[in-house]
Amino acid sequence: MLIFLVAGLVAGCVYAVAAVGLVLTYSSSRIFNFAHGEIAFFVAITFHWLAFSHGMNRFLAGAIAAFVVSPLIGLGLWAGLFRKLTHAPPAVRLVATVGLFVAIGPLSRIVFGTEQIQDLRGLGPYPHHNYSWLGVPLDSDQIIVLVTTILLAVALVLLLRYTAFGLSVRATVDAPSLASTAGINVAVVSAGSWMIGTTLAGISGIMLAPLRGYLDSQFTFLILGAFAGVVIARMHSLPLAFAGSLLVGVVQNLIRWKPIEDVINHVVNRDSVWVRGLQPSLPFLIMLAFLVCYRGLGRERFVVDNRRGTEEPDLLADAAPEADVAAVDPARGPSPSADATTVGRWRRLARTPPGGLVFLAAAWLFLPLWLHGSRALWLGLAGKGLCVAIIALSYTVVAGEGGLISLCQITFAGIGGLLVGQLVVNNNMSVLAATALAVVIVVPIGLLAALPSLRLGDLYVALATLAFAELVQNTWFQLDGISNFGSGVPVPRPKIGPIAFGGDTAFFRLVLIVFVLVAIVVRNMQRSTTGLTLAATRSSEVASATMGISIVRAKLVAFGLSAAIAALGGAFYVQYARVAQPIEFLWPFGLVWLAIVVTWGVRSPTAALLAGTLYAVTPDVFSSLLHLQGKWLEVPGLMFGLGALGLAREPRGALVQIREGRRGKQRRRSAKRDQRTAAVA
Amino acid sequence: MTSPLAAPTAQPTVARLSVHGLEVRYGEALAVAGVDLEVAAGTAVAVLGANGAGKSSLAAAIVGAVPVARGRVHIDGTDVTAWAAHRVARLGIAFVPEGRGIFPHLSVADNLRALLRAAVEPAERADALGRALSTFPVLRDRARQLAGTLSGGEQQMLALARVLAAPPRLLVADEMSLGLAPKLVDLVFESLARAKAQGVTILLVEQYVDRALELADTAVVLRQGRVDWHGPSTEAREHAVSGYLGGG
Amino acid sequence: MSALLAARGVTVRFGGVTALDDVSVEVGPAGISGLIGPNGAGKSTLFAVLSGLQRPGGGRVELDGADITRHSPQRRARLGVARTFQRLELFGELTVRDHVVLAHRVRHQRRNLLRDLVGLGRRTNATETDAVDGTLELLGLAAIAHQPVHSLPLGTGRLVEVARAVATDPRVVLLDEPSSGLDPSDTARLAAVIAALRDDRHLAVLLVEHDVEMVLGLADDVTVLDFGRVIARGTPDEIRGDAAVQTAYLGSAE
Repeated sequence: MLIFLVAGLVAGCVYAVAAVGLVLTYSSSRIFNFAHGEIAFFVAITFHWLAFSHGMNRFLAGAIAAFVVSPLIGLGLWAGLFRKLTHAPPAVRLVATVGLFVAIGPLSRIVFGTEQIQDLRGLGPYPHHNYSWLGVPLDSDQIIVLVTTILLAVALVLLLRYTAFGLSVRATVDAPSLASTAGINVAVVSAGSWMIGTTLAGISGIMLAPLRGYLDSQFTFLILGAFAGVVIARMHSLPLAFAGSLLVGVVQNLIRWKPIEDVINHVVNRDSVWVRGLQPSLPFLIMLAFLVCYRGLGRERFVVDNRRGTEEPDLLADAAPEADVAAVDPARGPSPSADATTVGRWRRLARTPPGGLVFLAAAWLFLPLWLHGSRALWLGLAGKGLCVAIIALSYTVVAGEGGLISLCQITFAGIGGLLVGQLVVNNNMSVLAATALAVVIVVPIGLLAALPSLRLGDLYVALATLAFAELVQNTWFQLDGISNFGSGVPVPRPKIGPIAFGGDTAFFRLVLIVFVLVAIVVRNMQRSTTGLTLAATRSSEVASATMGISIVRAKLVAFGLSAAIAALGGAFYVQYARVAQPIEFLWPFGLVWLAIVVTWGVRSPTAALLAGTLYAVTPDVFSSLLHLQGKWLEVPGLMFGLGALGLAREPRGALVQIREGRRGKQRRRSAKRDQRTAAVA
Repeated sequence: MTSPLAAPTAQPTVARLSVHGLEVRYGEALAVAGVDLEVAAGTAVAVLGANGAGKSSLAAAIVGAVPVARGRVHIDGTDVTAWAAHRVARLGIAFVPEGRGIFPHLSVADNLRALLRAAVEPAERADALGRALSTFPVLRDRARQLAGTLSGGEQQMLALARVLAAPPRLLVADEMSLGLAPKLVDLVFESLARAKAQGVTILLVEQYVDRALELADTAVVLRQGRVDWHGPSTEAREHAVSGYLGGG
Repeated sequence: MSALLAARGVTVRFGGVTALDDVSVEVGPAGISGLIGPNGAGKSTLFAVLSGLQRPGGGRVELDGADITRHSPQRRARLGVARTFQRLELFGELTVRDHVVLAHRVRHQRRNLLRDLVGLGRRTNATETDAVDGTLELLGLAAIAHQPVHSLPLGTGRLVEVARAVATDPRVVLLDEPSSGLDPSDTARLAAVIAALRDDRHLAVLLVEHDVEMVLGLADDVTVLDFGRVIARGTPDEIRGDAAVQTAYLGSAE
């Protein structure tokens, strides 16, 4: 048992260091950094590069990576990005860090090379030394983690409790505008917190690498454990984040202890996926359990909103003594007017004129005439793009209309697509019937995924949906029948009576029709009572509730509809690929899709079409058309991430920007004309 | 009109605080619509007016807590209009915002440390903290307790202790008597009078007209974000009352 | 006369601060009830309790004699309790008309998701159009019905809040400081609207105001709150002469 307890504590320590960094940056700037684990990864790679590619002393390399590179990353991110985002609406803040998440992977491969590092060397000696202390077996890497964590914890407590900077941080977190009128430079505090936060991320990365390896995917484990700790801490308590992370690590490892394992095996079949999926999913199970516990506290949001609205409007902003559970209220910042304009811009998301969509759809209809022969590859990709565009429309519903940042749309798509594979192979259903059935099945699953977060704020929606994605990925996606032992289930392309859609051209036309139909449904919804209700709920939950709108129902409608659309897109995606494979539907890809969709405009079906197409086509533009190789192939991923980061500038997305740019030009032109006419007169 | 409120005893030097044509906007709404006022060193001015007249916004704009849309704010001749709030605070300006001017999740002692930081030289901080804690015995008893758990009156004592322990150059106090029982209101005004006796210049936003005018030398009545009346506090009552009770 | 909406012995505490201490207020069945009191007296907290945004620590809220203390805000709205907000809570990107239409449909239209998705329900419904036009007319908002609300000045925004509340066809309307930040002409227009709600639509109105003159001019009965307690209750004339009210407002020691 002890060996698992120690392993658990070590994992928990790594989670804890990362979680404390997350809480620190979140409470000082109200930005939840989804890219925290990616930053850890980047720093770990930097360490590896310094120490093992350039032969630097390991400890010197570790010190440079942790105490020079990491804080510089934090400072850079704060100065270039997050400083401007503190007063942006919650959804924008969230999506910007998703963009960062998407961008850092490709960036690290561009900087440090695309080869995966198969290495377990870290700060400690390699191969590691084994010790035994009071009968507890410990290796050198584990000792390093434990000692480092204890030292960091002590240092942080001393810093926060007994230094002037610590007092400033605590005061700023508690009441930012009062802190600033008391002479505390809030900008310095927030920059400092970011530097400390990324330093902690970096240290956790350097500690994790020798335990798990320098692989991008391994770092999601880190961040998932840390997220669970942060949720347990309800985003603000540092000691709880620390303790919660330790708990997650210990529980995660204790289930491998023989007596517990026996119990589990007794309940479920030994070696079934459900057992194998349990360990990686545990952080999220724990997180979901806590989310459900905290759900009842959702009512507090109303109280806070109400207090904010009492008496004179300007200064009560952060006087509410209760810590906001939702904690992402944009109106709590110290400068109300700056606030109002950003929120206003986001709310004023203009609707694209339908002309744009009609024009694009018509243009797409003629694509097959041009893309044939040697260009046929592109038609296939355009078809794939349309499938992704359908899934992207699900973001238009849930994020654009519902204002909910869901990170599991790709999971709904995956469930839809994989179900089609199962129904076709096991039940001999026709593809289209299977598609319809899959869509119907996914709707209740979508509602279920939404439940834990319905009464909580935007951030919890993102975390709960991420938890759901991870759970499905670790369990159902792993079933041998679903993945067909890794090779995927073959899926034919559909046939309606005598018409077969087997060829790329025919299939392309079919998917185009489906896309247009779904886009019309989304537009109808946007213009109907349901759309009005969602717009109202998005703008003011308090006002919506007091006029009789059920906020829970509104959110469920958004989730259910978006799940159905995503499943439909997923079903056509597997038909495009002719094979249903779980590996196509992992949530990190979903974050890339989200980043592209919001880059172009989360409210517009046209943007969904562009986003899907770009995602499908861009990689081949780089490889086949431009004949680029190696690290250059990482550029599209980087671009997708940076696009979402650009939201800091224009939250409504690029399409709106382009259209306004055009209008601006027209206005300037007509103004000039007026001047000329005036001059003539 | 440039110095409507110079106290009769004021020296012909620069005013401690002078505000010219100040405007504050929240999006479309104009909360303060061109206010002029001057406060001479060592005097107290009462800013009166109904709820929504722009009093709190005026106070917040003076200390830099909300941005100034138009106009100028000078403190001892220094233009602080565009300064961030923490820079203004470091000039020795104390601000007690409406509601409570405390950090609810910090202990009483930490509150005083944070509030006194900008007001006192590093060497004198320990002394100032001791003075603040002994201003009101209840604070010393509860020095380690979280400030958010104090009663409303005790929270205002905390804010007042900071002022009395390190007299600021200018105190901007916004509705310190808000929601307090009469005895505690007495305590607030006694403490403000003590601060004034120590030479603190005070800008007092208040709804309790009579109490405010007892303390103040001059008064301004705001209405719809503009100065409706200004003059010596002895003549202010009827002007202020008409704003509240319609001549009642 | 039994009250339509009533708070009975309501108590609310925030941390160490008692915002409401055993407060009882009655509204209706028709007519305008005024609620005044100095800043921080607990008026907005009482509003939150009545509209369901704040659960009281003690006491009850009754609608037509039935206990609704534990009803959610939306359930109360569907029973006919509507409110406005002092700090505007408008739906930024919707137009003025959208606000009224939505409020009307929330109360009167059966929700039908399928129809919304297929796009069949868009034919205009005469009853709805009449009701919406009537409300816009009443509030004098017809001319700007198609403007998005984020571009409106504060005074007009307040009228939209009232329009949205009235469009749900409530039995009682709670108006939270509707005149704050308005200029005199807007205030006069608002007072006329509030009088029309009583006289033409026969609604019960609870009016919280800092503009005491407006309340005393409009209300049939007035309640005065001070630090969380009811200190006076009566007709506007009685309140005008009440010494306790003078003290509460002016803080005179005498």
